Amino acid sequence: MAANTALKTPAPPPGSPQAQPADIQIDIRNLGKVYGGTSSDNMVVALDGVDLRIRRGEFISLLGPSGCGKSTLLGIVAGFQSASSGTLLQNGRPIVKPDPSRTVVFQDYALFGWMTVQQNVEFGLKAKGMAKKERAEIARSLIDMVRLTGFEEKYPHQISGGMKQRAAIARALAPDPDILLMDEPFGALDAQTRVLLQEEIARISSEAGKTVIFVTHGIDEAVFLADRVVVMSPRPGRVREEVAVPLPRPRTAEMRSDPWFVSTVNDLWETLKPEWQKGE
Amino acid sequence: MEANTKAHAAPPPFMQRAPRRAVSPRILTDRSFRAALGLTAFFAVWQALTSLGLIDAFLLPSPVAVAGALWDMALDGSLWVHLGASLQRVAVGFALACVVGMALGLICGWWRGVADFVRPVVEALRPIPPLAWIPITILWFGLGDAASYFLVFLGAVFPAFVATYTAVRGLDRNQMNAALCLGATPWQLFTDVLIPASLPIILPGLRIALGVGWMCVVTAELIAAQTGLGYLIQQSRMLFQINNVVAGMVAIGLVGFAMSAVLERIERRVNAWAPSERN
Repeated sequence: MAANTALKTPAPPPGSPQAQPADIQIDIRNLGKVYGGTSSDNMVVALDGVDLRIRRGEFISLLGPSGCGKSTLLGIVAGFQSASSGTLLQNGRPIVKPDPSRTVVFQDYALFGWMTVQQNVEFGLKAKGMAKKERAEIARSLIDMVRLTGFEEKYPHQISGGMKQRAAIARALAPDPDILLMDEPFGALDAQTRVLLQEEIARISSEAGKTVIFVTHGIDEAVFLADRVVVMSPRPGRVREEVAVPLPRPRTAEMRSDPWFVSTVNDLWETLKPEWQKGE
Repeated sequence: MEANTKAHAAPPPFMQRAPRRAVSPRILTDRSFRAALGLTAFFAVWQALTSLGLIDAFLLPSPVAVAGALWDMALDGSLWVHLGASLQRVAVGFALACVVGMALGLICGWWRGVADFVRPVVEALRPIPPLAWIPITILWFGLGDAASYFLVFLGAVFPAFVATYTAVRGLDRNQMNAALCLGATPWQLFTDVLIPASLPIILPGLRIALGVGWMCVVTAELIAAQTGLGYLIQQSRMLFQINNVVAGMVAIGLVGFAMSAVLERIERRVNAWAPSERN
């Protein structure tokens, strides 16, 4: 729908600077990603014509079944891989490589196992060349924010999955990024821990005021957290629809029983069901 | 917590066996005690076979006779001269092998394109046993220390290379990406991520490399040296000093065992965080 209206507006003359509102932080236009070979039979189109504009401070959920390219899209925004076609701008500048203004929280935590929680959180600060004392202080306050105080000297293998992900979130926040990219961060956690961490991330993101792109295949998680749910469809991966979430911030547990929340989650499930079944 | 207190109040059947287990000597479960026991049994059987006359003392001297020979050589100093020479050779050769093997392993692990060129060469050279290298080694280096360094190097470089290559190949892509998006400098990526992440695979590889190097130094000394434990064995054989031959062998075995034990201890400490070191 959004794509259709965009097509109707006259295209700007080639070469002229794209007029864009100042608060657009990430601008994705007609982005495509093709994997593999030269011939069409071993080519996989992971993303096709993805259009998405993300405002500063917005919380976006990228929702879709496995294989819809949502993690690929996140990897491209992170700068880990490059797009095959289209443009990808951050504050009007193309994204070419990873940068501490866009940090990532991974599903498998990707904590450094040989470092303590404290050292993990300090990693990005050390990379900036910050003095030891200062970075220890910042790390401590972040560890406090994710409620891991008392576990600073533990190694990742000594703490639970939920605590690992809290540590990874603190580590990602440490370089004070503009954008936090979360790749199915709660996918490996048990159901109860997941719910608790969803509420935590709702709190932290509104406290920290970051732009967040949150990749998930959980419908209720996507709706609960986001200002806008971007639904993707697979093969090839593209944006299928967008749902604005009018719930106020910060999000709290009781909003899960809000009639709008319940009916939106149900509607999304009904529309996504056929594709999910195909994907299984 | 709650489960624990409950268990104390009413021990389930499997807990009731605990007291009986406490009766059996704790020392039996100690791993270094078991190691000592195993070695003692080995020497006891050996001693029994020789003192009962089941094995001719000329073919295999008893452990007591060997210990006596070792003691004598320790007193007259010859043991230390030969041991020192062997250790010095293995140290030099092993150090060279570590530098070359690890550097090459890092490069091949990091750049797949380079690995495509280098690995076939390595895999073709690797099956050639150090013994087969001896003639050409003597041709190149003569009968000095350099020949021994080279043979130790040959033995140790391949395990060092393979371990490093495997470690770098197996690095967790997400961990690298995490470091990159946190703004890691190339140096920080190398020292704080790549190296520590690789050590759980590299260090056991280096331990194996040192073991192979130790075998190679003895091989080299059997043929291409005038000192060292290998030379001691060869010399004693020609003088029909069978006690000294076996004493030399025992010294090689014990020193190799000690080296490997020390390295294993270091590994445990350095890689304490790694899943491979936790049971």
